[in-house]
Amino acid sequence: MNRRKTAVSIAATTALGVSACGGGPTALGDDQAISNGKLTLAVVTDMSGTYSALTGKGSLEAVKMAVDDYQEKYGSDAVAQEIEVLSADHQNEPDIANTKARELFDRQGADAIFDVPSSAAALAVADLAEEFQRIYINVAAGSTDLTGSACNEYTYHWAYDTEMLARGSAATLTQRGEKNWYIVYPDYQFGQDMTAAFTTHIEANGGKVLGTDATPFPNDNFAASMTKALEIKPDVIATMAAGSDLTNFVKQYNEFGLAEAGIELAVGAMFDTDVESIGATQMSGTLYTTDWFWNQDDEAREWADDFKARLDVRPTAVHAGDYSAATQYLEAVQRAGTDDADAVAEELDGHEFEDMFARNARVRSEDHRMIHDSYLTVVKEAKDVQEAFDYTELVETIPADEAFGPPSSSCDLG
Amino acid sequence: MITVRLVQSARRNQTAGWALLGAGALLALMLPWLVYPPIAVDILAWALFAMSIDILFGYAGMLSFGHAAFWGVSAYATGLAAIELGVPFPLAILVGAVSAALVAVPIGLVAVRTHGIYFTMVTLAFAQLIYYIANRWSSLTGGENGLQGIPRDFVGLEWSDPFVYYHAALLIVAIGFWVAWRSVNSPTGQVLVALRANPARVRALGFSVERYRVFAFVLSAFLAGIAGGVYAIGHRMVTLQDLYWTTSGEGIAMAVLGGTATLFGSIVGAALLVLLEDFLATSGIEATGSVTGAVFVLILLFFRGGIWGAVSAALARLRGTSQDDVLERPPPTGPAVPPSNAAEEATTQGSDVK
Repeated sequence: MNRRKTAVSIAATTALGVSACGGGPTALGDDQAISNGKLTLAVVTDMSGTYSALTGKGSLEAVKMAVDDYQEKYGSDAVAQEIEVLSADHQNEPDIANTKARELFDRQGADAIFDVPSSAAALAVADLAEEFQRIYINVAAGSTDLTGSACNEYTYHWAYDTEMLARGSAATLTQRGEKNWYIVYPDYQFGQDMTAAFTTHIEANGGKVLGTDATPFPNDNFAASMTKALEIKPDVIATMAAGSDLTNFVKQYNEFGLAEAGIELAVGAMFDTDVESIGATQMSGTLYTTDWFWNQDDEAREWADDFKARLDVRPTAVHAGDYSAATQYLEAVQRAGTDDADAVAEELDGHEFEDMFARNARVRSEDHRMIHDSYLTVVKEAKDVQEAFDYTELVETIPADEAFGPPSSSCDLG
Repeated sequence: MITVRLVQSARRNQTAGWALLGAGALLALMLPWLVYPPIAVDILAWALFAMSIDILFGYAGMLSFGHAAFWGVSAYATGLAAIELGVPFPLAILVGAVSAALVAVPIGLVAVRTHGIYFTMVTLAFAQLIYYIANRWSSLTGGENGLQGIPRDFVGLEWSDPFVYYHAALLIVAIGFWVAWRSVNSPTGQVLVALRANPARVRALGFSVERYRVFAFVLSAFLAGIAGGVYAIGHRMVTLQDLYWTTSGEGIAMAVLGGTATLFGSIVGAALLVLLEDFLATSGIEATGSVTGAVFVLILLFFRGGIWGAVSAALARLRGTSQDDVLERPPPTGPAVPPSNAAEEATTQGSDVK
């Protein structure tokens, strides 16, 4: 049995390096290679707020799995013999994320922070990564600012962003012949940005936006939008709603019989957890873009089974992204032979790899965006759903080079 | 007269008061050694925020559920002043506090016409209105990304170190504490207390009830603004969370836990909740809301006057002070707002007599 050497501590305050060195690796200059003699990974996430199902303890578990797999793979050859995984629950409050991330870098020697849902919190942590010159790999936040105006040499963006979602759904569907669009969006920045991005890609591919409808936020009555859609008969109605607004939108899409009228439904940003809460019956036929789903192939399924054995749920794309981010970080430490952030960043930059999460992946050195294949998917018919969380079916793979936007001119990593 | 008796009891408490103040100042200076400095800054900001709510609620009997508006408006104004105009942070905080006070004037003029739960609802409505404006006006506020990377500049010194910043924050917040204390321990403050107890009588004595209410409201907003500005500079960011109603709720919870109408109870309440929240973030407990709720219920069950109220009552008993003095404080919970009398209000033309 490969004894786990992970000294995992949930409570950061009681973090101890409980090194269970079974075989006992010979000290190969660990002291110089790894600062403080141990590598510290931290997951700052939302364990108790809105994003707890999408991220939360699943994100923490995914990073722990990456650490276990790294130690199993390298054994006594591992550069980091002792690895500690810390976590902080920011309760979906950016202020707490800010303070906790600072404390993790400042006082608890965190070498890298992962996850961090919601853009305000992610941007704050990115600032801290720059201040402390440590690595932050964003997985859960979708803001393109992280690789745009707010980019810095220690911050990476590993998973989906708003541009990827727009390209996957808008560009691909338009290319597939869905030319006429009607877009309904909540009237705040995310909705506006997504609508602008969708419109760009629809028009660039010869499609047309027949109309847009800005709705208040939150909103539970989409009747006017539905009636309008039935009137102008677009090929696709797209919504940028999220959470309970999305639930209401989908229900009313069904009630107003838009599907029967031949109008397809595309959702701007959606995750398995949304399908789970709304129900596959309501959601079936809904098109959306994701960069991973657990049932996509054998490799993903195998990892998802391990994950399920640990937490009794299926992983979300964010969880898989965290695993990938932590794995590639550890591999970079291994290649660099040190946990020095500059050396690790150098190893990450331009690195090409394949893993369970990311296919045809490359870390762009220009803006620290990790590009990889993304997928246009559709929610299965309820009768085809084999088990809980088995909702997603592939429509088309979008190759890595087309899946993400080009490096932003507002980011200059010199 | 309430006023006379309060003054007498204040004199008797003077020695104890100075001792307490000294101990408090010592603790405040030691705080960044005891807790992580950014947390210490949070405690200061929340303490002043809770105190601003206490002035209004504990003394004047007006429960505002919209103080997030003043905290948040100031935070954004502070952040924008520092980012866009590059003003040094103490000035940015002043800009923020003044902005909060200015926003409070029209809100106050409308809100003070209502009482009790209606006052609470009107203030909540205005705060939510401002929240939605901030959410929509993303070119100014950064929308859900918030304002990030607020500079913390002021001649010389390495302000980026939270430990150093704490001391600047302490000074600014201490001024806020002093303004709060001075206000409630002044003739104006006595009128506010009287207003809470018996507005009809205050009116009969010739005071303009509305004017005092608006004054208390704007003063409170100004203090909440200082707190919001200190917080924004402390975190070097402002997010929509700062304008959200939960921020108002948190401030009220702190004021009530510490003990209303005690002023300094707010500091205790703020310290308790900030430390609790910080502990919960790394405790591994997922049901954070339940824990906070349970603490809240337990404290109010066992300390009905809040922590400060309970402690000062116990001290008074120890010193053998008459029960009368302890009861001098307005009752701890519930905005004991008498039914308003529309006819009476319409006819009053009070003039300020001091």
